[in-house]
Amino acid sequence: MGTVYSLYIYADSPSQAERYGEIAFAEIDRIEALLSHYRPSSELSRINRAAFVSEVTTDPETFAFLSAAFEWSARSNGAFDISVGRLMKVWGFFGGSGSRPAPADLLVARESVGWGKVVLDRDHRSVRFRSPGIELDPGGIGKGYAVDRAVQLLQALGVPAALLSAGSSSIYALGSPPGASGWKIRVPAANRQQSISSVTLTNSSLSTANLTEKHFIADGRLYGSIMNPDTLHPIDGVAQVTVISASAMDSDVMSNALFVLDHDGRHDLLRERPQDAALVLGGPGAGFSYEATRWPAPIAERDDVDLLRLMIGDEGENLL
Amino acid sequence: MNRRDLIQGVSASLVSVRLISNPLLHAEPQHRVSADDRVRVGVVGPGSRGQELIRQLLRVRGVEIAAVCDVYEPRFAEVNTLVGKQVPGYLSFHEFLEHKDIDCIFIATPPVYHAPYAIAAMKNGLPVYGEKTIGFTPEDCTSVVHAVNATGQIFQVGHQLRYASWVRESIKRVHAGQIGEPTHVYAYWHRSDDWRREVPNPKLEHLINWRLYRESSGGLLEELGSHHIDITNWVFGEAPQTAVGSESIVVHHDGRTVGDNVQAIFGYSKGRRMFFSALTDNAMMADQLWIYGAEGSVQITLEDATFYNPTRKSITAASHAEIVQKGIETGATYQANWEMPYRGPGERLYMKREEDATLTACRAFIECVREKRQPIADVHVGFCSGVACAVGKRALESGQVVHLPQLASE
Repeated sequence: MGTVYSLYIYADSPSQAERYGEIAFAEIDRIEALLSHYRPSSELSRINRAAFVSEVTTDPETFAFLSAAFEWSARSNGAFDISVGRLMKVWGFFGGSGSRPAPADLLVARESVGWGKVVLDRDHRSVRFRSPGIELDPGGIGKGYAVDRAVQLLQALGVPAALLSAGSSSIYALGSPPGASGWKIRVPAANRQQSISSVTLTNSSLSTANLTEKHFIADGRLYGSIMNPDTLHPIDGVAQVTVISASAMDSDVMSNALFVLDHDGRHDLLRERPQDAALVLGGPGAGFSYEATRWPAPIAERDDVDLLRLMIGDEGENLL
Repeated sequence: MNRRDLIQGVSASLVSVRLISNPLLHAEPQHRVSADDRVRVGVVGPGSRGQELIRQLLRVRGVEIAAVCDVYEPRFAEVNTLVGKQVPGYLSFHEFLEHKDIDCIFIATPPVYHAPYAIAAMKNGLPVYGEKTIGFTPEDCTSVVHAVNATGQIFQVGHQLRYASWVRESIKRVHAGQIGEPTHVYAYWHRSDDWRREVPNPKLEHLINWRLYRESSGGLLEELGSHHIDITNWVFGEAPQTAVGSESIVVHHDGRTVGDNVQAIFGYSKGRRMFFSALTDNAMMADQLWIYGAEGSVQITLEDATFYNPTRKSITAASHAEIVQKGIETGATYQANWEMPYRGPGERLYMKREEDATLTACRAFIECVREKRQPIADVHVGFCSGVACAVGKRALESGQVVHLPQLASE
């Protein structure tokens, strides 16, 4: 959460487009106020503060959001896990650009990470943490959820064509621009400069999880902010994952889950979701490599380029 | 403390003590919910504010949204979506009151209906959470107080900032003297927003956009300024005595009859003043309130509070530098910095519990219903802000200084 949202919209008049934009952004503001863990007054922050002390009753929307998040945790064998909030803090990625944690901090974090330590009681619509220190972090699902909710409002208003993006991570393409077969989206290479593929979307979403979106370099290694909840360390070996799904929440989650899973895990998860497409780029040191599953467009071969240099530019020169 | 103190003073010290001594305002009950804990709530006027109240109520353990009432039928489907089940909906308020399975009601209608609905509900034996303001006219406000006294029912006004931890702590510190004697409150609620709601059918303009028309709305002063007036009443320990102000339509010439900008000044005893400003075409100042004292200031927003105590002035003593003006030596010092805004650091209050103030207020009301006691934001709090707004509207229209009526002792 806490990202910049952009909306491109076709409407009958500028004033109507402005009105639609106000409605969409008001909904995004509402979701931010509900789920941002950077806001002390958000419902998610309230749950984070109180759910170990006692069960926290929450509203149906928040409960449904958490239920969906934990269903994704189960479906991905824990590769996707919103209980990594403490881990993100230990690695310095909460409001910062990251730093290596002390081993003792990682030991403490071990106790406070794990979706199985969060109990949802559907009958009482309540949340309870089994361990102290658990913090739910909506990164990896919240932006997609916000995009979906705003798009639903635009659909209800009869908006024929719109493109809503949350930062650089999640995009939803509603309808098609006049005279076009869909919205043309460029999928950038991991360095965000070059393009690696170009797809045309209509009534679907594309999300990208990227190693260099937020990272730091220490002792010759690049550490990204996408965590393996099992090892408690950032993932390496993968540079970027882009997923096309029916909803922004699904593509947001899938891009993060596939980032964490190994080759076999990715294969299994994608087999369960035959409507999704994925493009996985290999990480630093692997040369140029990719896995494409049902990817609907050509992929630019970039084997003449050192991916690590592309990704971190001048900053990484001394690492080569 | 006598009754007049309560009515006039809304004593801050009393409020602070009660808040601190009441743990139920700070935490959900630790025990498991039982059938006896269930509180069945009816909501009148589930529009934008009413739905926000429902959303917060659904976060309070043991609360069930039992029925809703609205003259605009599409609201019922919106409520069903929000609650996640079918909620009985009534177009008639009187039929709604006949619904047997309601323990208390929340009123979030346009303010012109607040007093009659609250009075009818209390006479029907129901505790009431009434959105601000408690009445549309001074007479309305008085009637609600009389109804509470006559029925003995629980009544809470929707001044949720009375329950916000950072506001409570700020007022406590102000009363302890952290900024010296508070003399002025400057409050802003500036937006870049035409305040209009989407209208699916032009016939529904006045129903949907009731905030824009005098017959159903007190405009920006009532809808936004009432919260600031209430905090000022809390700070000064009394209701205002006079009101003067102006409003105009400067941007949104769309048929509305309330101003799209408002400036109002409320007079309190000992010359103390509260200034309120609302704009709708520039959100730079947003929603913030400053309390000024001789020794410092505090800025309160919807999410936090910051105290500023810049270095005390030293220029009132004998001068260290002299200015020669027209050949006459003066004893005044001159420091240009004092005329510049203070840009130094402040002390931000960090509270352990910075949850949404509306949630805290709703939970507190539900606990009052369970425990059968009056809330902190009681009818007297509501009277003091409500009558200020009701009279303030007249001041805006007339451009004259208007004196506020005081509640007669019964």
